[in-house]
Amino acid sequence: MWEIGGKKLNSRLLIGSALYPSPANMEEAIKVSGSQIVTVALRRQSAGEGSGGNFWKIIKSLGIEVLPNTAGCHSAKEAVTTAQMAREVFGTNWIKLEVIGDQYNLQPDPFETVKSAEILIKEGFEVFPYTTDDLVVAKRLADVGCKIIMPWGSMIGSGKGLMNKDNLIAIRKQFPELKLIIDAGIGKPSDATQAMELGYDGVLLNSAIALAQDPIKMADAFRLAIESGRLGYQAGVMQKREFASPSTPTVGTPFWHQFD
Amino acid sequence: MIKISVNGEMKEVQENLNIQALLKTLNYTKEGFALAVNTSFIAIKNYSITIIKEGDKIDILAPVQGG
Repeated sequence: MWEIGGKKLNSRLLIGSALYPSPANMEEAIKVSGSQIVTVALRRQSAGEGSGGNFWKIIKSLGIEVLPNTAGCHSAKEAVTTAQMAREVFGTNWIKLEVIGDQYNLQPDPFETVKSAEILIKEGFEVFPYTTDDLVVAKRLADVGCKIIMPWGSMIGSGKGLMNKDNLIAIRKQFPELKLIIDAGIGKPSDATQAMELGYDGVLLNSAIALAQDPIKMADAFRLAIESGRLGYQAGVMQKREFASPSTPTVGTPFWHQFD
Repeated sequence: MIKISVNGEMKEVQENLNIQALLKTLNYTKEGFALAVNTSFIAIKNYSITIIKEGDKIDILAPVQGG
C-alpha cells in the first residue's frame, strides 16, 4: 500500500482513458492494468448529449479514483477555470495540472504552471502538476505547496522513455518527501520499470497502452513492469564495478593454472 | 435579443436571461456538465443569479477521455 492525495492505494500505475480502439477495450485495459487512478478530461458538449455519454458511465462503473486533467490549457486562468469545472463535474478536488507552453512539443509552461498551482492549492485542490525534468521548477512547485510533482519522461505521446535520467535522479534526491510520478513519454514496459527503479512513486501513462497492438496485454505488461521496478528499488540495486568479477567460486576451479 | 457565443457558436438569445433560463433555451436538459462565462467558472448554485450579457462567451463542458 502507498498513499497519494490522501488515498491509500495498491497500484502505482496511473492510467489514461484516451486513444483506445474502443470503449470496451479501454474498460478491459484499465481493469487488467490494476490501476486505481484513471485520468479524464473535459471538452465542449452539445445540447442533448448529456454528461459525456457512455464514457462517463463506464469510468464511474470502474469504481476507481478519477484524476481530471486541464489538457489544452495555455494559461493559469484557463487551467484554474478548468479545474474548478472539473471539481464540480467529477466531484473530486484532485487535478492533473497541465499548462502547455509550446504546441510543437507540448512542453509545460513552468511559469503558468507554478502560478496556477499556487491558486489551486489555496482553493483546496490536490494538485498533480505535469512539469519538465527541471529541478528548479520542481522546487518552485514544492514552494507553493505541491505535495506531488509529475516530471515528464519525454514528450507527451512520444514513447521515447526517460530522456534525461540524471535530472530525474536529481529531483528524486532533492525531494524525498514528495510523491513523484513520471508523467508522459513512456513507451514500453521497461521505461516504466526504470522510472520505478529510480525511486519514483508511480508512473502515469496512456499512449503506451492504448496504442499498443494489444492494449489489454500491454496493460498487464505495465502492471508487472511497475511492480517489478518498485521491488527492484526496494531491494537495492548492486553497485556498478569497473572490473569483471566472477560469480562462480574460483576455489576448486578445474584445470587451474597460474598465469605467467 | 443579444448575441452570445456558446461553445464557439454564435447564438441570438433574449436579453436578461439567467444561466438557468439560458440552458433551457439551448436545450441543455441533462446533468453532468460545467459552465464558464468569459473563462470564469460559474457554479451551479449561481446559475439563477448570473445574467447573460451581449458578447458573453459561454463554455459548456462534459467528461471525455483524457490522458
